Parts: sequence; structure tokens; C-alpha cells
Amino acid sequence: MALGLSLVYGVTHIFNFGHGIVAVSGGYFTWLFMNKAGLGMIPSIGVSMVIMFFIGLGLYRFTLSRLLKKENWEFSVIIFLLGLGIFWENILLQSFGPRVKDIPNFFDGRFKMGLVRINYHDISLIVIVILFVIALNYFIKKTWFGQAMRAVAQDMDGARIVGINLKKTFGYAFALATAVTGFSGILLATKFYMTPNIGWAWMVKGFVIVVFGGLGSITGAIYAAFILGMAEATITFFLGPMWVWPIWFFMFLIILLIRPNGLMGGRTL
Amino acid sequence: MNSSGSDNVILSVCDLDCSYGELQVLHKACLNINKGEVVALFGPNGHGKSTLLKAVCGLNASSKGSVKFAGSEIIGTESDQIVEKGLAYISEARNIFNDMTVLENLRLGAYNRRARKKVKENLEFVYSLFPKLFERTEQMAGTLSGGESRMLAVGRGLMSDAKLLLVDEPSIGLSPIMKKTVFGAINRIKKTTDISVLVVEQEVDYALAVADRIYLLKKGEVILERKAGEIKKSEIEKAYF
Repeated sequence: MALGLSLVYGVTHIFNFGHGIVAVSGGYFTWLFMNKAGLGMIPSIGVSMVIMFFIGLGLYRFTLSRLLKKENWEFSVIIFLLGLGIFWENILLQSFGPRVKDIPNFFDGRFKMGLVRINYHDISLIVIVILFVIALNYFIKKTWFGQAMRAVAQDMDGARIVGINLKKTFGYAFALATAVTGFSGILLATKFYMTPNIGWAWMVKGFVIVVFGGLGSITGAIYAAFILGMAEATITFFLGPMWVWPIWFFMFLIILLIRPNGLMGGRTL
Repeated sequence: MNSSGSDNVILSVCDLDCSYGELQVLHKACLNINKGEVVALFGPNGHGKSTLLKAVCGLNASSKGSVKFAGSEIIGTESDQIVEKGLAYISEARNIFNDMTVLENLRLGAYNRRARKKVKENLEFVYSLFPKLFERTEQMAGTLSGGESRMLAVGRGLMSDAKLLLVDEPSIGLSPIMKKTVFGAINRIKKTTDISVLVVEQEVDYALAVADRIYLLKKGEVILERKAGEIKKSEIEKAYF
């Protein structure tokens, strides 16, 4: 979730306010393929991600690339994505209804050792996320396209000088981020549940993580997610869940006081 | 003008107009570069030298006129296509990727399809030209000194397997030793490869020493063309004022 947000911002400097709904769409697509088309879980996830990728690409090609030509594109893009997010949310509401939906766990049962009990599903989620981050990192650092995205994030003129096509790179980065975000939504829907409007709650969390870690920095987002996740667990255990948000925002303010750009801010991809 | 037969010409700029908004910077600028030649472009600051280079490599959208590279018209072509054809621009601002290593920067120089096949041999050439870069392959480019990052910018340009390098003020902000290194590299490019070079420069001495021919650009027009041996520094500087 946070990774997708960071990826888009890092490369294109677009801040996507419709981000939460993108994640939710990933979850709904997968649900749709599993329950209505009768596909298995893994094919459904695969198909959903491919669809998300092309939605992202289309969105960029046909709408965003035009908006970006305007002078104060930052504002128009934010409003456009926000509006589109609300529109899309209501489409989901119309077609799926407001009732809670979820995607089944990957594995049932739990691992027991003395007093410790961990769901196999949680273990698989952790493994998947770690593998995914490694894969994404490899992709960004080792492939020509990944390097092109980093180049664009660091110096747009430099990127043009070495012969990188900015429009193409923007488009594919946006598409990739849409797919990554959709995937995060699928994982969230297996662990928790989803309704058409839950994206906003997810997004606020994602937003805190991304800004905490430094906008546009993938590594920063990972550190921030880890720190804030640990903090959340500790706070819930000792003080109860209602303290999570106040303490999170307190930590957030402290970080911004010490490092105004976030934990790893100022560095790019 | 005394440029030889047209199949020997790698770049021919003709009647090039260029403007920033209302302000027209280039007025019907013309110049030619032959294969393997080093050409220096002199002129006062703010009279359109850098604009001309940017227009040639497609970084300035407002340019009109004719720019022929290796026989084909490239004006209005996207910059990534122009790089693909073999034209590399080395900017005055360097524009290197600070949060990447020296090696990653050089490899990105070879982003175009032609150059990807030749990464190894071009990398060897760049390292032989600038052994300093070889010592620093894994260092972050943002931590390099001014001279080193200038070498990196030139090296990255060479990685694109270009037929023509457009070099914008390579000596700006450098120590005299570094200036010598950079122009030494241009001299070696001239002697050991068939790459042509168009260099914009304020340091008339250095550029005059390596150039075959020079052009003088004033108020957006090319006002003079000479063989490098036939003109003195004082004549060039006189034209500045």
C-alpha cells in the first residue's frame, strides 16, 4: 500500500488521493473472479493485478498525461484523482453493495508452541510481503526499466539526456504502482475485510507511513511500516487500541520536527 | 563556407530559430560539422550557445528550421529518439543521478538500444579515459567532487555510443588541472575515435587547442566561421564586446 504510494510520488511527483480506492479495487476484482468466475485464488490475484496494471496505464495515457501539460498540474491532478476515487467508490458500492466482503485466508489453522499462537495465514502474509519487497527492489535496481524510473525520479533532465522517454516511464511507473497497490489491497482483504469505503481508512495509514518514511523513498516506507507496526502492536498490548492513533501522530510530529522530509526523505528511490 | 562534401557532414544546422516564450534567442543560426571533427562554438554569455545545443538534441520544443543529423531531419523528434540515432548531449549542469553509483550512472548512459549491446567496450573506453572513475565505481555520484562529476557526465555521454557529442561548457567551475583533464579527454576522443564533437566553451585557449574549426555566435546568429589555426584568441574575444 505504502509502497505503491511512494513509487508514484517518487517517480512522477503525483500524490494520489484516490490511492485507497485503488487498493480496494484490487480486493474487489479478486473477490469477483473467485466468486463469480470460479477461478482459483492465485489465478484470480494474477488476473486482478494484470487488470490493475492496465487500468493504471490507461488512466495515465488518457487522462493524467493531458493534465500534466497544464501549468498548475499538481493541484488539478490531486483533485482529479480524488474525484475519480469517489466516483469509482460509488460504482463499487452500486455493483457490490455496502456489505462486508472478504477474501479467504491462504492457509487455515495456526502454529502452536507453548503459549504462542500464530496463524499460518499471518506467517504466509509476512513471507509474501518480504518476497514481494525483494522482488520489487531487484526490479528497480537491476532492470533497465527500473533504473529508468530511478533516473527520472532523481533528475528529469538527466533522464531525457540519456534517452529515456519521460511519458512512457511515467505511464509504466503509474501502472506498476496501481498493480502493487491493488496487490496490497488483496492482502489486506484476506487479513481483514473490505467495504467500498474502507479505502480511506487504509489510505490514512498508508499516508502516515509514507510521509513518516520520507515521500518517494521505498526503503523509508519499509522502515516506517516496520517501526509504526511495532509501535501499534506494543501500544495495543499495553494501552489498548484507542491510543494507537494519538501516539502514532505524536511519533509522526517528532520525526517531522527532527527530519522535516521524513526518515529517509530527500533521497530518491 | 569551407565545409567539404555533403556526405562527410554529420550535422548540418540551417536557419534554426528558437525562443523562450516571447523572447527569440536564435535567429536563423547555421553550422556544419564533419565526421570526426572537433568544432568549438564561442560567443558571449546569453547569446544562445546552450540554446543551440539543446535545440539540436530535442530538449527545446520551440525550435524551427532544419537540423539534419547523419542525413535525416531530426527537428521536432523526441529527445529519446535523437539519442537513439547517435547524438549525445553533455549538459553544463551535468545532470548526473546523485543517488546512484558511478557505475549505475554510466550504465544508464547506455540506455538506448544501440548502446546496450556495447556496454562493456564503451565502459572500458570511459575508464581508460578517466581512471579516476574506475577507482570510484561503487561510490554514490552525489559525493563526487566537481571535477569528478564532470568526468562522469562526459563518460555517461560516451556510453551512449554516440557519433556526435554536444558538450556544453565542460570547464565551467573547474580547477585548471581539471580543465586540462577534461580537454585532454576531448583530444583523445578526437585522436582515437571517429566521434565528432561540438563544444561550447568560454575558455577560448583550451578549446582552441583541440578544435579543428570554430564558430562565433552573437545575438543568436552565427557571425563567423574559421579554421582553428587561422584565428587568434584576441580576435575571438574582441567579438564578445
